[in-house]
Amino acid sequence: MPTLTIDGREVTVDPGTTVIQAAEELGIYVPRYCWHPGLSIAGNCRICQVEVVNPKLKFPCTIACNLMCGDGMVIETDSDEAKKARADVMEFLLINHPLDCPICDQAGECTLQEYSYEYGHDKSRFTDEKVHKSKRVQFSEKVTYDGERCILCTRCVRFCEEVVGNEELCLVERGDHQEIAVAAGGALTNPYSMNVIDLCPVGALTSSDFRFKSRVWFLSDTPSTCTSCARNCSIDVGTRWGKVMRLTPRENADINKWWMCDEGRLNYQYVNADDRLGHAYVKQNGKLVRSSVDDAVAKAHDLVNKFVGKQGAEGLYGLVSSNLTNEEIFLAKRYLKESMGTSGIGFLKNEGEGDDFLICADQNANSTGAGLIGVTAAEDLAAAIKEGRIKGLVVFGESFDDDANLMAALSELEFFVVMDYRLSETAKAADVVLPGVTFAEKEGSITNIDGWVSKLNPALDPPVEARRDLDLLLGLLAKAGEELPRTAEGVFRLLAEAVPAFADISYGEIFAASRQVATDAVVTSD
Amino acid sequence: MSLKPTNILLKGMEKDNSASIDNYLADDGYQALTKALKEMKPAEVIAEVAKARIRGRGGAGFEAGRKWGFLPKGLDKPVYLACNADESEPGTFKDRHIMEYVPHRLIEGCLLTCYAIGSQTGYIYVRGEFPEAQAALWRAIEEAHEKGYMGEKILGTDFCCEIHVHTGAGAYVCGEETGMLSSIEGGRGHPRLKPPFPAVEGLFRCPTIVNNVETLSNVPFVIQEGADAFLALGTEDTPGPKLFCVSGHVEKPGCYEFEAGANLKGFLEHVGGVWKGKKLKAIIPGGASAHILKPDEIDVSMDFGSMAKAGSIMGSAGIVVLDEDTCIVELLRNVLEFFAHESCGQCTPCREGTGWAKKIVTRIEAGEGTMEDIDKLWEVADNFEGMGGKTICALADAAAWPTKSYIEKFRDEFEEHVRLGRCPLKG
Repeated sequence: MPTLTIDGREVTVDPGTTVIQAAEELGIYVPRYCWHPGLSIAGNCRICQVEVVNPKLKFPCTIACNLMCGDGMVIETDSDEAKKARADVMEFLLINHPLDCPICDQAGECTLQEYSYEYGHDKSRFTDEKVHKSKRVQFSEKVTYDGERCILCTRCVRFCEEVVGNEELCLVERGDHQEIAVAAGGALTNPYSMNVIDLCPVGALTSSDFRFKSRVWFLSDTPSTCTSCARNCSIDVGTRWGKVMRLTPRENADINKWWMCDEGRLNYQYVNADDRLGHAYVKQNGKLVRSSVDDAVAKAHDLVNKFVGKQGAEGLYGLVSSNLTNEEIFLAKRYLKESMGTSGIGFLKNEGEGDDFLICADQNANSTGAGLIGVTAAEDLAAAIKEGRIKGLVVFGESFDDDANLMAALSELEFFVVMDYRLSETAKAADVVLPGVTFAEKEGSITNIDGWVSKLNPALDPPVEARRDLDLLLGLLAKAGEELPRTAEGVFRLLAEAVPAFADISYGEIFAASRQVATDAVVTSD
Repeated sequence: MSLKPTNILLKGMEKDNSASIDNYLADDGYQALTKALKEMKPAEVIAEVAKARIRGRGGAGFEAGRKWGFLPKGLDKPVYLACNADESEPGTFKDRHIMEYVPHRLIEGCLLTCYAIGSQTGYIYVRGEFPEAQAALWRAIEEAHEKGYMGEKILGTDFCCEIHVHTGAGAYVCGEETGMLSSIEGGRGHPRLKPPFPAVEGLFRCPTIVNNVETLSNVPFVIQEGADAFLALGTEDTPGPKLFCVSGHVEKPGCYEFEAGANLKGFLEHVGGVWKGKKLKAIIPGGASAHILKPDEIDVSMDFGSMAKAGSIMGSAGIVVLDEDTCIVELLRNVLEFFAHESCGQCTPCREGTGWAKKIVTRIEAGEGTMEDIDKLWEVADNFEGMGGKTICALADAAAWPTKSYIEKFRDEFEEHVRLGRCPLKG
């Protein structure tokens, strides 16, 4: 375990630690372009040069990313020598760099800008013609490349090689004419391709989806969790003007490290879509008429209660989406089972193709949470309705527009209530429509395929009169005579008392980091 | 030191069909290999080579035997030999003489080295622009097989070895040892970070010894005649025979063999002096990357230490003679065009810096430079000089040395270009 001194402070590290990592342990930031903790060491940008006071090397500075910590080493990261080395690298990087800042999406989150300001010269002495390279190259419909902005750190090439396992990106040409290109005959089609946009320290690789949409300093970033599959990658939700502008991965050593898949990243348009429910609706004379949310909640409970009162709870079924949060599923079950007495509760499975990296075959975000709370996959609902076993249906956070059988069976129900974030065809068939929200407006927790519990934080307010599903469910429970805590945190405490798997974690903990629960108690069938 | 010719490295070259194995055998060829396989253990071969202090003839001058000693012991990985026959340093054409005229000397050197380091596979990386050398080596390898000097159970011993020729495709940076290894592996010729060094982690992540053609071609003599015979030649600093290439404005350009330490001034006289009765302006003594020497600086012994003391390098001993009509600014532009073109492009200072330096000197040459440009050019070069610190490999250093030394020693010529707005020599 070597002990070394960095900027006058001692640190003891594991053997094999490099100086740049040791500095991070001390909270000392050494600037870097090509180095990334999730990729191999390239050592080509040279910006991480630090002064090595002891031992004496041939030159005063060397790169910190490849320098193995040695016992007794003395490093200065901010001495005059280190400053000059960095300033020289910045000068070299900027001589051919185009003055694109005014039109470059990276502005505001560009380490070339930041390091230039922090470590570079404030004047250029380059008076020659800059090297011109390819601009606006479509590596795919998702990723745009600009060769002039590129500093050839090769993070993108190494990402495709090392993390994804293919060689879709490569270097072409030599010297200061080098560019990144899609390997001959290939295309940038891997399902994680957009991670190179986050990796790219400059605006060489940018998101075509986000292109020119907004300056990043106007975005509000809310840490949250992706709900496109059971992986629950940690993300940041970037919003502006009451809309989601983009999703970006957030570092989580336990779940997704630094990455997320392209599909999840781009799956936010529905939050901004026109078919969002902003009001509650109640069916009158065969038509949906706008109602106040409180009245609609009352009406919904009334329908359920009257039905149960007359026919008993057996014909009542609750379809509870496993995209809802742990708290919401808990409340839904509380209402349906404990309050209203039905055991007919289930979620609609949504299976796709998974891979051996991040993408899960289970395209629902919280099946594990549902399973731990005791909600399993639903039976064939269309058949059950047709056979008269289900006469009253309550749907929380789900739609099934594409299931023609089930849609056709709805007319045989005695009553039908839907709570969802959009006015789907499913919702249009309902007697009462309660306006819920998407993940972007929610607060709560979800549980991933391995039992990691992550937090959803609201990045937006519910639109118009819509309410968080949690609040709508609390409203129903209140109507049923159950006064429960009004916050997600409060509900979580109840959940933790009732479900042993959640007993050891606290709601406050999962704000900072995901916590893992055991998944052996997941119920998969009744 | 006066010129002492030797007939060791290019011995047999004067014969017709000198490259044939029969000619080589007639000159006691493969006696060294026979002796080593039958009478010496691999460790003894290493010891003899180390004792002889053969300094790397590729240009760095690092002792070959010492390098062989860096191989890790007891590793369960194959060991490789990679012979650097990329010979791309401008002004250098010595290795091609060995490969085209006496390839068996190199082959025997490779086999001896493989035996010493415990390798069964050697690669000779020949630059793509040397088809004759490649063909000569393939023929020699075939002949060696036929006569039982290469292949399985060589000369009835347990030693098995195959040497392969691998061709380059036009990149100076593939002459950098780790750039070469990347190229042999089928990748772009990108030099690698050191550590790890090739002796520990080289080809295919296995221990690899990289040596120059001329270096390896000295090994048969050392084994056959003994280290002492080698040490008796040359100087204390650089023992042994040495090939010197001379080109440029000389009467008798060519490749000459003398003991290392030959005096540069004496050598110039030996090759007929500056051509056409012209006066000497400068000499580049060790390939394009060498610091330039003025006429009053050429009375120097050509060994590694003396050249370094004289403020230049022995390098590849690619001597280029420049007469009084040479424009040094044009020369620098020519040199920087080379390095900018050849930079692999990995590290920022070399990639951007060599291109920038080329642009500045091009403007100065065209009479469009300023006085500030001259200092700027020197500073730019100084900012990309520093292998291991500022850059991954020494290519940038190789570009920095001529830039800085030409400006330092011929500054008035640069200033004249600026003052006149044109080249004072060419108009």
